[in-house]
Amino acid sequence: MSLEAMPHTAANHPVLDPLLAPPFPQAALPMLRNPQLRKNVGHAIDVIQAKRAKLVAEKTDWQDLRSAASAIRAQALENLGAYLEQFEARCTAAGGTVHWAADAAEARQIILDLLREENASEVIKIKTMTSAEIQLNPFLEAGGVKVFETDLAEIILQLGEDEPSHIVVPALHVNRSQVREIFARRMGLENLSDDPQALTAAARNYLRRKFLDVPTAISGANFLIAETGSVAVVESEGNGRMCLTLPKTMITLAGIEKVLPRFKDLEVMLQVLARSATGERMNPYTSLWTGVTPGDGPQRFHVVLLDNGRSSILAHKTERQTLKCIRCAACMNACPVYRQTGGHAYGSVYPGPIGAILTPQLMQMHHAQSLPYASSLCGACYEVCPVKINIPEVLLELRSQVVNQERHHIGRFFDPMYLGLRVANFLFQKAWRFHLAQRLGRIGLRLFTKKDGWIHSLPSIGGKWTQTRDLRALSSQTFHEWWAARRREAE
Amino acid sequence: MIAATSNSAPGPSRERILDRIRSATVSSKEVAQEALPHTHTCHGKLTAEGRLALLIERLREYDAEVIESTPENLVASIAAQLAGSGRHTFVAPEGLAADWLIPGFDWKVDHGLITAEIEQAEGAITAAFCGVADSGTIVLHHSPAEGRRVLTLLPDWHLCILRASQVVETLPEYFDRCAQPPALVTWISGPSATADIEMTRIKGVHGPRFLHVILVRDEI
Repeated sequence: MSLEAMPHTAANHPVLDPLLAPPFPQAALPMLRNPQLRKNVGHAIDVIQAKRAKLVAEKTDWQDLRSAASAIRAQALENLGAYLEQFEARCTAAGGTVHWAADAAEARQIILDLLREENASEVIKIKTMTSAEIQLNPFLEAGGVKVFETDLAEIILQLGEDEPSHIVVPALHVNRSQVREIFARRMGLENLSDDPQALTAAARNYLRRKFLDVPTAISGANFLIAETGSVAVVESEGNGRMCLTLPKTMITLAGIEKVLPRFKDLEVMLQVLARSATGERMNPYTSLWTGVTPGDGPQRFHVVLLDNGRSSILAHKTERQTLKCIRCAACMNACPVYRQTGGHAYGSVYPGPIGAILTPQLMQMHHAQSLPYASSLCGACYEVCPVKINIPEVLLELRSQVVNQERHHIGRFFDPMYLGLRVANFLFQKAWRFHLAQRLGRIGLRLFTKKDGWIHSLPSIGGKWTQTRDLRALSSQTFHEWWAARRREAE
Repeated sequence: MIAATSNSAPGPSRERILDRIRSATVSSKEVAQEALPHTHTCHGKLTAEGRLALLIERLREYDAEVIESTPENLVASIAAQLAGSGRHTFVAPEGLAADWLIPGFDWKVDHGLITAEIEQAEGAITAAFCGVADSGTIVLHHSPAEGRRVLTLLPDWHLCILRASQVVETLPEYFDRCAQPPALVTWISGPSATADIEMTRIKGVHGPRFLHVILVRDEI
């Protein structure tokens, strides 16, 4: 059994709270040194990427669908207030109750209060990244409500006391023998095989009674429809349908940006979402419901609309496009950085390129400032994004904000980077200072230059450069010197 | 504080959030959908035969079983499917055609069945609202002949009767058939599945593991 299948200790447990997580380069190191994890992530991504490429290629109107999807999402955001009010009115008229939560704490409290009104001691959940964003599960458990995740990947993580590393396939960093170990230990099935079929069957049996007995469920939402007050959930396993159909009470937690103007907008969104997310023409099950339907499904229905930093993203022209996201994860599957580090390094439930722009903004740029730099700016994420979010453009904008923060910070006087640039500023003012610095630098760097003509490691601030790349030794002659010498020879 | 019958529970945060949104967006006038880019394919180009062939191919790719039938042979086809399933207890929606309830099997018609009764059934038989060939999708609007959502969820085996006249080629064509947006929809594209373990597709997690479709050639 590999080491990674062991339960996480406090020391190596991934931290997905941006308030507590270490900066990206630091968090990425243990991942880069874990060959099993990188192999698992690489394999999963290769499979999804190949399936997606095949199904996107067969769609001759793919670029038209992207344009349409992008325009629909942009329109929804431009008129967000009106559409949310319309959604609230229609959902309420259909028998639902709409709650508004300004931040994570308020959303958690609303949900716990609703569960207490139901006298709920247990709750079943459909996979929702938004609930992970507000750290709902630990709060409910502390409040005396036992939470049962029902998505297979979420069960693996919940039983393995692990954290999601991807927003569509949250347990893609775990392989079959690791899943077997977790299920055998936590479900008491010693003779379980590591065949995915057997593992899936174990999860089915584990949850069947819960679906039938627990009267309260929590879901996220893929789309809210303003025109009708309906909610749509996209899934594969049927655990979503179970949670949406069998309980007496359903609580849906949705970010305020999830709204679509019209029912008909789904003709575009459903075509791009599954293809981008899992490389399927359509996911096995998509459910849409409107308030309460007498005799069919939960008879009490609540929607909690969550802001938690979203309205402040809306106010910025360049960054607003972040909110167009439909959480398909195509960007992380395409990202060369995510491929190497996996999701935990991002220190947020939203990893990959979208996480690199969404997380610091949800934190109002007070935390996670290293994430906008967790990118090579290659643009692969923009190319695959089904709603055309120009992620590199937003990354650059956020980087400039991070630099501006540092520029006005009093601690800058002790920052080697700041001091170095002040010295450079002084040296570059006069040619003789520059030439002198070049000559001294050539001598100084000789100490660090290896026989192969490369500098592999520098101390202090220079280490930031050599941490990830080598540096050529300075040439023994600058172009200026060579030019001057050449002219002297000619004369 | 929050009764199930109350219309809304707008805390103080409602106005705060809406104010922040309003100050962040210059609320432009509502734009009609026609004003948005709309160059994606809306109408398919296949013949009626090609459309049905594509639906059958795509459904089979998802491991769904597809049987073709004529209107005259439909009852016999249903009987053959039921017999071939090796199952005996079936649930049926209230509005299902009476002659589809083949004698010789144990039928539970849903006049408000309790969950436990549905769970004990070995199969379900329903009509459908639409079939989408391009994505191999069966769409249920949960009318009286399509049944409550739970009917097609708990039994492990689902037999769905789809008429050729209900089949469209593209997803936008399905939306064109919705004169009014429906209150309940389930889009089914093959049986329940997961790829959560090493991206290996496994059929049948929680929903029905077996999806059978009888395609009735009613208009060709």
